Amino acid sequence: MSLKDISTSVPKKDHSGKVSGQLPYISDVKVENMVYGVLVRSQVAYGKIISIQLPNLPEGYEAVGAEDIPGPNFVKIIKEDQPIFANEWVNYIGEPILMLVGKDLNILYSLLKEVKVIIEEHQAIYTLDEAIKQKSAAGVIMASYEFGESLETVSAIEQGAHQIIEEEYDTGYQEHVYLEPQGMLAIYKDDEIEVQGSMQCLYYIKNALLSALACGDDEVRVVQSPTGGGFGGKEEFPSMMACHVAVAARAVKKSVMLVFDRSEDMVVTTKRHPAKLNYRTALDKVGNILSLSVEIFLDGGANVGLSSVVLQRALINSAGVYKIPHFHAKGYVLKTNTVPNGAFRGFGAPQSFAGIESHLGHLSKLANIEPLEYKRKYLVKQGDPTITKGIFRDPILVEDMIEDLLKTSEYKKKKQEFQRFNQQNLRYKKGIGTSLFLHGCGFTGSGERDHIKATVKLVKSKDGIVMLKISNSDMGQGILTTLCKIVAKELDLPYEDVLYPYPDTKVVPDSGPTVASRTTMIVGKLLERAAKKLKAQWQSGVDQEVVEHYVHREMIPWDEKTFTGDAYPAYSWGVNFVELEVDTLTGNVKLEKVYGNYEVGKVIDDRIMKGQIDGGLAQGLAYGYLEKMTSKQGKIQQKSISDYGPPTSLDVVPIESKVFDNPYADGPYGAKGAGELTLIGGAPAVQAAIEDALHTTFQQIPITPEVIIESLWMKEGEEG
Amino acid sequence: MIKFTLNGKTEETNAPATTRLLDLLRDDFELIGTKEGCGEGECGACSVFVNNLLQNSCLIPIGSIAGAEIQTIEGILETKKFKILDESYSDAGGVQCGYCIPGMIMASAALLSKNPHPSKAEIREGISGNLCRCTGYNMIVDAINQAAKKGDGIW
Amino acid sequence: MVEKMTATYRFDRLEQTLSQLNREDCLIMAGGTDIMVLHKSGRGVPLKLPKPLIFIDHLSELKQVFQNHKDIHIGACCTYSELLEHPLIPVSLKNAIKTIAAPAIRNRGTLGGNICNASPAGDTLPLLYVYNAKLLLRSVTGDRIVEISDFIQGPRRVQRYQNEILAEIILPSVLEEGAYVVFEKVGNRNADAIAKVGFAGYIRINEARIEDVRFAFGAVGPTMVRSIDIERKLVGKTIPLADADIVQVVAGFDKIIRPIDDQRSTATYRKTVALNLLRYFLSMKQYQAN
Repeated sequence: MSLKDISTSVPKKDHSGKVSGQLPYISDVKVENMVYGVLVRSQVAYGKIISIQLPNLPEGYEAVGAEDIPGPNFVKIIKEDQPIFANEWVNYIGEPILMLVGKDLNILYSLLKEVKVIIEEHQAIYTLDEAIKQKSAAGVIMASYEFGESLETVSAIEQGAHQIIEEEYDTGYQEHVYLEPQGMLAIYKDDEIEVQGSMQCLYYIKNALLSALACGDDEVRVVQSPTGGGFGGKEEFPSMMACHVAVAARAVKKSVMLVFDRSEDMVVTTKRHPAKLNYRTALDKVGNILSLSVEIFLDGGANVGLSSVVLQRALINSAGVYKIPHFHAKGYVLKTNTVPNGAFRGFGAPQSFAGIESHLGHLSKLANIEPLEYKRKYLVKQGDPTITKGIFRDPILVEDMIEDLLKTSEYKKKKQEFQRFNQQNLRYKKGIGTSLFLHGCGFTGSGERDHIKATVKLVKSKDGIVMLKISNSDMGQGILTTLCKIVAKELDLPYEDVLYPYPDTKVVPDSGPTVASRTTMIVGKLLERAAKKLKAQWQSGVDQEVVEHYVHREMIPWDEKTFTGDAYPAYSWGVNFVELEVDTLTGNVKLEKVYGNYEVGKVIDDRIMKGQIDGGLAQGLAYGYLEKMTSKQGKIQQKSISDYGPPTSLDVVPIESKVFDNPYADGPYGAKGAGELTLIGGAPAVQAAIEDALHTTFQQIPITPEVIIESLWMKEGEEG
Repeated sequence: MIKFTLNGKTEETNAPATTRLLDLLRDDFELIGTKEGCGEGECGACSVFVNNLLQNSCLIPIGSIAGAEIQTIEGILETKKFKILDESYSDAGGVQCGYCIPGMIMASAALLSKNPHPSKAEIREGISGNLCRCTGYNMIVDAINQAAKKGDGIW
Repeated sequence: MVEKMTATYRFDRLEQTLSQLNREDCLIMAGGTDIMVLHKSGRGVPLKLPKPLIFIDHLSELKQVFQNHKDIHIGACCTYSELLEHPLIPVSLKNAIKTIAAPAIRNRGTLGGNICNASPAGDTLPLLYVYNAKLLLRSVTGDRIVEISDFIQGPRRVQRYQNEILAEIILPSVLEEGAYVVFEKVGNRNADAIAKVGFAGYIRINEARIEDVRFAFGAVGPTMVRSIDIERKLVGKTIPLADADIVQVVAGFDKIIRPIDDQRSTATYRKTVALNLLRYFLSMKQYQAN
């Protein structure tokens, strides 16, 4: 198959293996001399380990713990605060203390029940609100940043303002529910530990293993297995599991498999950070914004993990797609004794967009202006500064995207129709809501230049087959296909002649992790350049190899200390409209129609892009009203899929979407990031639509039926 | 000893009667197309046919399948119905991470066998026990809709 | 370390099954969709059960549906899917069944299982309560018939003797004309959801006068909530009901509905919604028999 237009869809590389079920995921793998591992976990949220009593272990069964770790006892990521096996203090319920390994899971589960861990319990911090109250205590603030207009200036403006509006907004947990639970296998060999599993970031894992095993570079090897969904949940968490199985394999000299049950996965793995966002806005007489201050608190859970980086993105997006005069932002990651929170598609941005879209929606009501019209007054334009004193360099098509959706959705007509419907129907109320959003593509700040330094390699065989040697994971988003397309197109080769085997750190350079909507834009561009180079030196009948390294395009340099500069090289954009119906007797929300217009530079594969739109939106919409996870005394309450409630096929409706072309010079064929963008607009649009249906305001997501019924109850009380 | 038919072949097992069918298929018969996503009947990744009916193999103790006909995704791979579903899922872009897909294919086949011309709403109902976290379902619904049309007469 | 294996039985005939139950206390498994979750012991491991297990889902004696005068008799081991396709099953019951889980579960789960599992959130229970369903329990010593409301005593607690099996569910007089029945299940999503509130309402009217009226609420207490006293007060009243009557009935249930907070919802929500659905049912201007 030759590729004319890059966007034209092609069959996916991994289609056959997946549709037949014969492509082995990690839990499908069995190797010789393999034992299983199960984890002894803390049942206490915060305390000091006094003693551990093991039952008599039968022959072939062993316990592995902190003393078996050759290197330092932490999972190497950013800060050294996450033990591989807790051996002094436990900081959350579910924290791993020991691993039992042996052949038979049945026996392991029985032994697990007999392990006695005595912990001296200390006063834990269970909620974000408690953490905010105890913010000044040692160790509670795990990260913080502040930037923007000086507080003196803001305060002077507030003095002269007509009114000051303060709003507090809360967002809840979100659980990834990748369909394949986490799994990791360490294959033991005398001179090497090979770790295979479900993962997004091969070199994060390799670096964590080099540290934990305190070994040489050639003694560990990481191979990605087909990965059944990631959404950020397999970004940093698998590093910990990899340390567990690798340390155990080294200790017992056998291959060790660790696969989670769904309930274990739901309780102990990272989730989207619950957040509190405080807005303080000065308005003039007619409701124009004079200044706006935002304060963001993220519940980091027990370890900082990637939370500081999540906070950076939350803060950088805290003004949404708007040019707000005199903007000030401050944010904290706070420690609680709950399961550590981490990466999740959107990485801090979904919380911020939900908050700012909600706030502007509410301000529009005060100004008595239709919400979308009000927001459009503040929309950023090309050449405008970002809130970190960077610049929006590229053309911005959001106005066109809004205009298009107003027409497609017949927005004005709908509003009138819904108003009539709502007057006549006592039980059901319909509403329409909108959201405007962007996503900064790639790592925040200078991460690519300073930390990742990506390298890609193309290897051509004598018979003209080209292989991609990169460390990125296909976890369903389709890069096995899209990246091969880019290379095939550049080399003018049939798509079938370009191969991308599952990556293995033994043979692939570090092209960076599969995160931050960077893969297509950054790695794809490097591959495009590598392909150009290979084409220039192409010789038939010989083996050839080319390597390309990341080159940073200097813009306004990012300074993490002052939080200034270009936070991202480029931005992708989106607009969502949502129509829904609320049952006022039960508070249940039924989606009716969903629209999305997006701008991602250039689409590399139309069908894959549509898959990202539909799947991302389904998650984003559900984040706003359906999916609910809570923690009580440090325990996650929803341990099953149905109690948590991700959408089924009966909860999602057809999504009408369109993608606008706006090629970006530094992306392959003009492509920018797309994967995370699609989630961000769902929740704020749902909130706006529910508010429109019920003529009320909400200060939180998810807006569950419980929240709606309470709000209707209050409203009834007020109206007598 | 429990005897049953598996993908057309008579089989027997000495595994305990409270073994989950899912484990028997995966561990003893190495049929990896039947996946475990939740172990509680809430995701459909382990869907198989028991006497031609779609069921969750994680909820079936093998003691109850004596004499039953079990069919897994492996048992339908060579059929024309599978080939049509395969093509339709590819054309419609219904596959992302792939973990739900074998179960989804089984649910699709079960639906079409019962109702060869389903409406979109009936398709959604038919796969409502099969969780997919990647696609938002619409492209899977399209795939099944296409398969119904392409395979007109064979379901 | 030796694990004791669970004894399991699977007889060809109901008679043998009953004999075994007479000899030994067993866990009875019909479709198993609740038991398998309740006693799950983890990935890759057989179930660990407190008692010997006896399978009954294959027994043809327990899979019949037939009519006796105006009553319908439903075999306890009929699966939901089988009932959905059976012409004798009333539409309102079919509508309730359609809200249960998803197709694969409905191919396995049984009506008898739903009753014996006695979950406060059992999907079919509110409706079976307003139908005044009777249960036929069979043992080696013979049959006995009990009211469903006497049989279910609390969460996962039923009044079944060790040697008995639930053989039939009897819906009295459901084939009589003229009753209007509604069923509402409130879950967190549209499939594979466990009820946060269930409501069934039954009303029979003759020339605008209420001849019979019944209400049952699910997931708002340890068992279904029903009050014959409150129902009686409405008999003889005319439709549409006066506001004062509606207020009185709602106030009556307000006193007896005592839900709890759990991982799925809150007590306040459950109560408010239960009463909302009741009020809505009572405020209807007319009731079309279905």
